[in-house]
Amino acid sequence: MKRFSTSTSTMYEPSSSFREAAAYLSSASSLQQVSTATKLELYGLFKWLTVSPSPNTSRPSIFDMTGRAKWDAWKSTGENYNDGAEGERRYLQIARDLGWTEGTISKPQVGAPEEDEIDWDEEDVPTQSGGVRSGLGPSISVMLKDENDLLPETDTTIHDFAVSGDLNKLMTLLKNNPHLNLNQLDENGYAPLHLASDRGNISVVKFLLTKGADPKVKDSDGMTAHDLAEVAGRVDIVQTLSQTSNPHPEPFR
Amino acid sequence: MSSQPISQSGEIEDVVDTTHDSDGPEESEEGVEVQEIDADAPSSSNKKKKKKKRSKFHKVLDALSGKSEEIPQEIVDKVLEKVKADGGEGSEHADQATVRQALEQMRIMDVVKGKAGIGGVNAKQMGEHKFWATQPVPQLGEGPPLEDGYIEPSKPREEVRQDPYLLPNDFTWTTIDVNDPAQSKEVYDLLSLNYVEDDDATFRFNYSAQFLEWALKPPGYHKEWHIGVRVKANQKLVAFISGVPMTLCVRNHQFVVAEINYLCVHKKLRSRRLAPVLIKEVTRQVHLKGIFQAIYTGGVIIPTPVSTCQYYHRSLNVAKLVDVKFSFVPRNTTLARMIKGNKLPDQLRLPGVREMEEKDVPSVTTLLSRYLERFDMKPIFTQEEVAHQFLIGRGSSESGYTNSWRREGQVTWTYVVEHPETKNITDFFSFYSLPSTIINNAKYPTLEAAYLYYYATDSAFLPGSDEDGILKRRLQELIGDALLVAKKAQFDVFNALTIMDNVPILNDLKFGKGDGLLNFYLYNWRTAPLAGVKDIGNVPPGRGVGVVMV
Repeated sequence: MKRFSTSTSTMYEPSSSFREAAAYLSSASSLQQVSTATKLELYGLFKWLTVSPSPNTSRPSIFDMTGRAKWDAWKSTGENYNDGAEGERRYLQIARDLGWTEGTISKPQVGAPEEDEIDWDEEDVPTQSGGVRSGLGPSISVMLKDENDLLPETDTTIHDFAVSGDLNKLMTLLKNNPHLNLNQLDENGYAPLHLASDRGNISVVKFLLTKGADPKVKDSDGMTAHDLAEVAGRVDIVQTLSQTSNPHPEPFR
Repeated sequence: MSSQPISQSGEIEDVVDTTHDSDGPEESEEGVEVQEIDADAPSSSNKKKKKKKRSKFHKVLDALSGKSEEIPQEIVDKVLEKVKADGGEGSEHADQATVRQALEQMRIMDVVKGKAGIGGVNAKQMGEHKFWATQPVPQLGEGPPLEDGYIEPSKPREEVRQDPYLLPNDFTWTTIDVNDPAQSKEVYDLLSLNYVEDDDATFRFNYSAQFLEWALKPPGYHKEWHIGVRVKANQKLVAFISGVPMTLCVRNHQFVVAEINYLCVHKKLRSRRLAPVLIKEVTRQVHLKGIFQAIYTGGVIIPTPVSTCQYYHRSLNVAKLVDVKFSFVPRNTTLARMIKGNKLPDQLRLPGVREMEEKDVPSVTTLLSRYLERFDMKPIFTQEEVAHQFLIGRGSSESGYTNSWRREGQVTWTYVVEHPETKNITDFFSFYSLPSTIINNAKYPTLEAAYLYYYATDSAFLPGSDEDGILKRRLQELIGDALLVAKKAQFDVFNALTIMDNVPILNDLKFGKGDGLLNFYLYNWRTAPLAGVKDIGNVPPGRGVGVVMV
C-alpha cells in the first residue's frame, strides 16, 4: 500500500516555539489579509519542517493549480534554506509579523497524534460534513425543482406578487398602475386571488379583497379562491373569504 | 510506519490555502462553525445557494445522460490563460488544442459507463482520491474489465493485520454492542446529530433504536463489525462505521460480502481525518472473518461506482412537503391541484393482499429469489434472513398501535398477496421507515419518509410479461397498494430508487424526480457497470441493480 513514508532520521525537530507559532497561525484571523505568496511560503516552510525537506509526491498536473503551487512552494523552501533552524527562524519571523508573541497560543493544541500509518494531512477523505450529502451510506434527496422554476425570479405582475406574498411590492405596483385588472387570469388560468389563497398569503388575500378583487372568479378547473384555500388547507384564508359577503367593497373601475 | 508530527498541518493547510476550491466542504474545526452560521443566513442568500446547487445538479444529470456538449470556448481560453500565467513545466507547449484535449479527458462524460469522471461538478472528489487510490477498488477512468473478479487476492487469517490501526492518541477504538440499549442509544444519538444532511441542511436522517436493531443485526452478524471511536478522556462516542454480512450475486459470481454502512464522524471532528482509518479498520475486521469483498453506497462519486441511481419521491402529504420545502408548487399550477392529483384510492386494490406472517417465510423466500434472478446484482437470502428482513421490524402489537396501520416502533411494512383460491403467495411488497429531522422547524419536527424495499411478483415469470406490459401493470397495482399502506401509516413521502423494476412505473404512480443520486460501490471486485439511472446495452434502466441498501 502506498503511503506517506518519511525517514525520521533526516527530519528536523521543530522547537516548541514553532509549535506555538503554528498553532497561532492555524487560527489567526490576521492570516486572512496576507498575500498568497506569504501563505505559500508558510506552507512550504511548514511542510519542510514537519514532513520532509522536499515534496515526496510527484508534481501535480498543471490543472491542479493549488496543488501545484503548494508543491512548488514546498520544493523551493527546501532549496532556499540550508538547515531546519534557519527555516524555523523565518517561520517564526513571519508569525511575529502576523501578531504572534512567544509563549502565547491562541487555542489549546488538541491531542497531537504521535504516529500513525494514516496520513491525517491528506485531503482525500470521504468525510461527511453538515449540509453535504457525502460519506458512505444513504444520501438525502428532496424533490427536484422544475428547470423553469430555477430561472431567476423576475416578479413583475400582480400574479407574481400573489405567489411570492410580497405585499409591499404589490401595493407599489397597484399605486403606480391603479387601472390594472385585479381579476385578470394569467396564462395558466389563475386570478391573483386564486394564487394568493392557494399559496397561503393571507395579507395579500385581504389586500386584494379590499381593492375589489372578485372572489367568485373561477380558475380553469372551475375552482374559486375559496375552493383552492379549502383544498390546500388554508384555514385562515377560507375564513377570510367566507366572511366576504360583498364581493365588491370598493367598486371596481 | 512513518513518524511525523502532523497534528497541526491539516489546519495550517486550510488556513494557508487561499486558492482552495471554495465548493469543497470546510474541514477545519472553525469551518464547522462557519457552516452553522451559514445555515442561519438570510433566506435570500439561501435561496441563491439553492438555485446554484440545483442547477449544478442538472449539469450532473446532463453529464449522466450524455447531454453535455463540447467544452465551451471561454473555459478553454480561461484555462489556457491560467496555464500560461502559472508558468511551470509544459506550459510553454500549451495551446488551445492540448488544453481542450486535457479538459475533455478530465471531465466525466459518462460515469454510468465507468469510462470517465463527472464534468466539473465533483472536481474535488475527482482529483483528490489519494485514499481511494490506495484501496483495491477500480480507479476512475479504468473502463470495464475484460473479466469479472477480485482486485486483491484473499489472504489467510494469519496474514491479515492483527492489531487495530492507530488512532490519534486521544481516541480509542470500541466495539459497539447493539444489544445493549445504552450503546445502541449512543449510536443513534451520534447518527441523528451528525449523519447525512441534504444540500441545504434542512433534513437529517433520524435513526431509531429499532431501525439499528433491524439494520445491524441480521442473521450471522459479527459484533466486531460494529466499530466505534471514543474520546479517551470522557468515553464519548464520536465516530461509527458498521458492516453486516450478505451473500451477493454479481452477474455469474456469488460470494459473501460485507455491507458497509453508517460511516459517521462527529461534526466537530471532521478535520481529524477519522474516516479513512475507520474504513481501514472495518476492512481489517472484515478480513479477519475471511471476507474480502464489500458493497456500499454513497451520495458522492468516489472511485468507482458500479451503478449510479436516482431517487424518486411520491408525495403522500403534499401540503406538509411544500410547507417544509421538501417540494415546491410550480408557478403554473396550484397546491390545491397537486393535492387533488396526488390523492390515493381509499381501498387496497389487489384481492388477497394482507400483512406478511411467519408462515409466509418459505413462499416469500422462493418468490423473491426467483424474482431477483432477473437482475445483474442481487442478494441471496435464506429463509432465516427473509424472516429478519421482513418481519423483525414490524414492531410489536403489545407496545400498541399509532393507528391500525402502524405499530409503535415499526420499521418495516411487508404485505403479501395471497391468491384467493390457490392460497399461493403470488406477490409481496415491503418498505421501511427512515424519518428525517427537519432542522429548526417547530411546526413539523419530523419528515416521515417510507423507502421502497424488496418486492416480487410472479407476473414477471409469465412469457411476454415485459412485451405485453403484464409486469408493469401488476407492479403498478402492487406498488400502488404499497403507497396506500404508507399513506394510511401516516408517511409524508414514499421514496424509491431507479433500481429493479421501478423505472417504468414511477411516472404513472406520480413519483417526482429527486435531486439526490445514490452510487453503488463494490470493494475489491471488478465488474462492468450495472444499469441504474440509465440503460446499459440491452439492460433497461434499473435492472442492473437488484439489491436495496438501507
